[in-house]
Amino acid sequence: MVPPFGSRATRETSRETMARARARASLMPDLLVEARRVANNVFAGWHGRRKRGVGEDFWQFRPYVTGENLAAIDWRRSARDDHLYVRDREWQAAHMVWLWVDESPSMLFKSSLATVSKQSRALVLAFAMAELLARSGERLGWLGVSKPIVSRHAADKLAEALLAAPVQTEIPDGSTVRNFSEVILFSDFLQPVEDTVSKLKEIAQRGARGHLVQLVDPVEDEFPYSGRVEFSDPETGQKLTAGNARALRENYETLFSDHSRHLRSIAESLGWSYTLHHTNRLASDALISLHMYLMHTRRGAA
Amino acid sequence: MLGLPIAFAYPWVLSALILLPVIWWLLRLTPPKPQTEIFPPLAILARLITKEETPAKSPWWLTLLRLLLAAFVIFAMSGPVLNPEEARLQGDGPVVVVMDNGWASGRDWDDRKQAARTLTEEAGESGRSVVLLLTAGLQAESFNAVAADTALAVLEGVDSLPQKPDHARAASVLRQIIVDDGPGSVVFLADGLDRPGSGELVSAISAVDGQHIIQLPGNENLAIIDQVRNDPDALIGSIVRLPDSGSSLVEVTAFDNKGLTIARNRVDLPADEIRTEFRFSEPVELRNQIVRITVEDARNAGAVQLLDESYRRRLVGLISGEAADLAQPLLSPLYYIGKALSPFSDVREAGDANVAAAVPDLIGQGVSALVLADIGNLPEEASDALGAWVENGGMLIRFAGPRLAAASDDDLLPVRLRRGDRNLGGALSWETPKPVAPFENGSPFFGLEPPSEVVVERQVLALQDIELQQRTWAILEDGTPLVTAAKRGAGWIVLFHVSSDAAWSNLPISGTFVEMLRRVVNQSRSTGVNSGSTEDIRLPPLSLLNGQGAFVPPGPEAAPLVLSEGVVPTVKAENPPGLYGTEDGFTALNLFTGGETLARLDEASFGEAEIVNGYGIQEAFRLKPWLLAAAAVLLLLDCLAVLWISGSLRPLRGLARGAGVFLFVTSLALVSPDIASAQSDAVDEEGNDFSSTLATRLAYVMTGVSEVDSISEAGLTGLTRYISSRTALEPAAPIGLDLSQDELAFYPLIYWPISVDAELPDAATMARVDAFMKQGGSILFDTRDQISGILGGTASSPEAQRLQIILSGLDIPPLEPVPPDHVLTKAFYLLSSFPGRYAGGDLWVEAIGEDEAQADRPARSGDGVSSILITSNDMAGAWAVDELLRPMFATIPPDPSQREMSFRTGVNLIMYAMTGNYKADQVHIPALLERLGQ
Repeated sequence: MVPPFGSRATRETSRETMARARARASLMPDLLVEARRVANNVFAGWHGRRKRGVGEDFWQFRPYVTGENLAAIDWRRSARDDHLYVRDREWQAAHMVWLWVDESPSMLFKSSLATVSKQSRALVLAFAMAELLARSGERLGWLGVSKPIVSRHAADKLAEALLAAPVQTEIPDGSTVRNFSEVILFSDFLQPVEDTVSKLKEIAQRGARGHLVQLVDPVEDEFPYSGRVEFSDPETGQKLTAGNARALRENYETLFSDHSRHLRSIAESLGWSYTLHHTNRLASDALISLHMYLMHTRRGAA
Repeated sequence: MLGLPIAFAYPWVLSALILLPVIWWLLRLTPPKPQTEIFPPLAILARLITKEETPAKSPWWLTLLRLLLAAFVIFAMSGPVLNPEEARLQGDGPVVVVMDNGWASGRDWDDRKQAARTLTEEAGESGRSVVLLLTAGLQAESFNAVAADTALAVLEGVDSLPQKPDHARAASVLRQIIVDDGPGSVVFLADGLDRPGSGELVSAISAVDGQHIIQLPGNENLAIIDQVRNDPDALIGSIVRLPDSGSSLVEVTAFDNKGLTIARNRVDLPADEIRTEFRFSEPVELRNQIVRITVEDARNAGAVQLLDESYRRRLVGLISGEAADLAQPLLSPLYYIGKALSPFSDVREAGDANVAAAVPDLIGQGVSALVLADIGNLPEEASDALGAWVENGGMLIRFAGPRLAAASDDDLLPVRLRRGDRNLGGALSWETPKPVAPFENGSPFFGLEPPSEVVVERQVLALQDIELQQRTWAILEDGTPLVTAAKRGAGWIVLFHVSSDAAWSNLPISGTFVEMLRRVVNQSRSTGVNSGSTEDIRLPPLSLLNGQGAFVPPGPEAAPLVLSEGVVPTVKAENPPGLYGTEDGFTALNLFTGGETLARLDEASFGEAEIVNGYGIQEAFRLKPWLLAAAAVLLLLDCLAVLWISGSLRPLRGLARGAGVFLFVTSLALVSPDIASAQSDAVDEEGNDFSSTLATRLAYVMTGVSEVDSISEAGLTGLTRYISSRTALEPAAPIGLDLSQDELAFYPLIYWPISVDAELPDAATMARVDAFMKQGGSILFDTRDQISGILGGTASSPEAQRLQIILSGLDIPPLEPVPPDHVLTKAFYLLSSFPGRYAGGDLWVEAIGEDEAQADRPARSGDGVSSILITSNDMAGAWAVDELLRPMFATIPPDPSQREMSFRTGVNLIMYAMTGNYKADQVHIPALLERLGQ
């Protein structure tokens, strides 16, 4: 008898995935979170934002405008000619980013077509993001687990906090999320869509911008079963028998893609980003698109 | 049971077959177990699977498979035996098995051995001892009866030998056995051939006190190659068979010493003909490489003839009129001839200067050809001996010289010579030395490059003779003969009109001379090489034949072949047939050396012996293991099927597909040789068809009325010329078709003139025509009666009635006169009418339905080409031209433009037949361009 496609993987701890996440993160360029929306954020980061603002490094001289603070005038420069100059500094700012990984039983699913379980991949992605963001000096937190941390080693600290914390199976309410923060949620989003939507809206109402990463095992997408198959749900234990699984394939594919499309439309209506990631693809794929979403100023959303 | 020779060891087991319906009922109820899968998005899937499905039943084929499996096991358990064996031996006392293991047993030796084995086993089962008496290679005087097991072991080591069985000796040994052992049964496994001593053997068998069995083979296809001789024009051998053999077709194959096929010949063996000749007419160079000739599939040592050097190299004797001057060999008249002959023949020089003694001496050595260099007058006895030798097939080659030129009339010359010689290019001559003219067709030298450097300064001249022309093989540029030859009896006399040394011409020192001599000598008959020495020669075995007629390396029992003076070596136990000597020079020893005949054993002489015909057909065959194996295969299939149903075979699916393709390709490969050979046969028989595939050509139906047919041919020739000059199509010469025999598929359009005098085609022919039309061919019927018919020649003229009779055998679609927008009016020229020799008749084609959508198009297309076109305008009459390309018939009315239009009609017809509705599409181009905004 050929073994079934799907199997239940053991839960991976944050410690195991850290190493792999580091490897991923080392491949990425320094992450510069788009800081347009954090104008009032006072926490200083280490990396310049390539525009003038609060910071330590010199950015430019510009002519003094009447009404400006006189203390801002750079007298040394102004003494060279007849104009007054103000020394601008490069704006350096940190940003608050919340991470969260779904660890429900369905996330432990791994098929023979995939290399890792969804949970493993999600943790790798989350820690890789944490590593990148910590490198850029952002403030990081794990929803429902830890408070915001600003540290070069924020990713390690998050991992330790996660070890101690209970298993995360539901999207947290986001009571700690505040305005102008970024929330990155890693899940397969197989819970009833209504529950997911209400949770997401709650977080969105707190003024945070979200990024949804839906992890999909290739088996869930392609439905390669044929013949007589008994399917069981890892969450509820419910069982269903299909007499001719192959005949269901097309309809199932339609339904599943509808599900993903629905999620995407919700994310777009909230102004959030949505990334679909298959566990048989490289983790870097998702990382790059997340990176892109965090970097880019969205056109028209001033 | 059911007419099949099947017996069951345990028939009662078959009652278990009653259980099959129960098994069927059980199998129908058990569905295959489903595959279990974890599936996280079950909620999504749950929307598709609304209710639990009813348990699936096993597919009917799986049930059938399992029922078959059960049935096979039950049958296997009942122990079925095909051809159940019966005990053949009766009585008690030792069993004597007399077995022919000579050359004739080679073909079905395994069957014979099996028959002997079965007998021995049977004797062993009843505790009787066995004497095994082999008739070939018999050494001992008598044999003791041994236990059956021992006899079996001996039997396993016995093979058929490429020898003639010695029945006389076997008979004496058998009589000794009768005395010594007192056998109770004797079984003679004969090869069915009567040979010296067979009668004694049969009577010795009759002398055994007890049971006699004689088993005879069919021997329908027994054929041997008796003797082969290498004649100048072919290698000729004969196949000898039993007197009452039926007709059959065998292939005789010739191999070289590396085992490669050189030639292959199909020999038709007529019924009741004992001796049939076959010939290999390959070039002599190829023939000389032949080492082995076999009858294909004969598989006995008698069907193989081995050839050695004696079949190839000719022995040539040289006699000169001059005493050999060893101090100055280059001046010797024989020097160049000897050098030129030595590459391909054995040269013997006369040991005696006396021609009268030398000639009989060399003839006695068996020379094929004799060279006389400048010998004028021959002594009378030498002349007589030479004459008789030539009559019997000798090749006498003579060279001219001063003596010959001075000789008086000589009988042994191909032509009469003018006394004296002719000197060219000397100080007193006007003429220059003459080169050799190209060799003419018919001369044996034809094909050789004439030597440009060779010039002849002196020669002897032939008297003008009415036969001189025929007897000349080579001439000089001025037409005087250089080589003449004449056939005398079975032999030849050849005269080179120049001397054999370089005195008269430089021919003997040219390379062409070697080739010329080779061709001359190859004309001679091969006689074989005599060793010429008196000492015994011992030749080691090189490659020997086994009982099946295949070459095997010599075994330890093979002894060197001793060649003694005057003794023809024969096949013995220690000298099996084969090649003896070394790779470079060997002597062939053959089983049959000529004059062999075959005869059947006389069944009437067997007395009361029990006669069994044939070997190896009554072997008992136990079906049990095969049935069990089939059941195991079915079980395997069942397992695969279960796996497949449960969906576990996904990774194997690609493999299965590959295996399927492999099986398909293999089966195709197994089938295809027959197909291929069938095709090639068809092409071979109909070479004409093959040529028609290479070029497009117009075709007409040969009506059998020569007048009509010649007009058709002339007409299509004219049309072919017109088409070639006006269009890109250049058809080959038109062809007349016999509808009942010729393949029609190669011709796009066939012109069929209707003649009242022509025979009506029969039903089979019309079926061919119908098939041709249905497969896309077109036929242009021409009633040629427009002028004579009433109302434009449609209904009631004799030709029209004839056409109606012909068409009644065909599946004809509705017809209409060509409408003005038909493709035919535009296929090449724009035409409004289709005149031939007459202008009035309509051209009828298959009706194309009016299509509303096409109403505004300039041409109606319709799919394909009208398979039938009918005209009454005598198209061929208008097209017909004579050899000078002048029109043969005047058009009616006489109008040159009408002929032009008729040719254009022809072009349009051909274009229509070749390109179909292409032109109908083509005429849309203006509309298409307009739409594209051009």
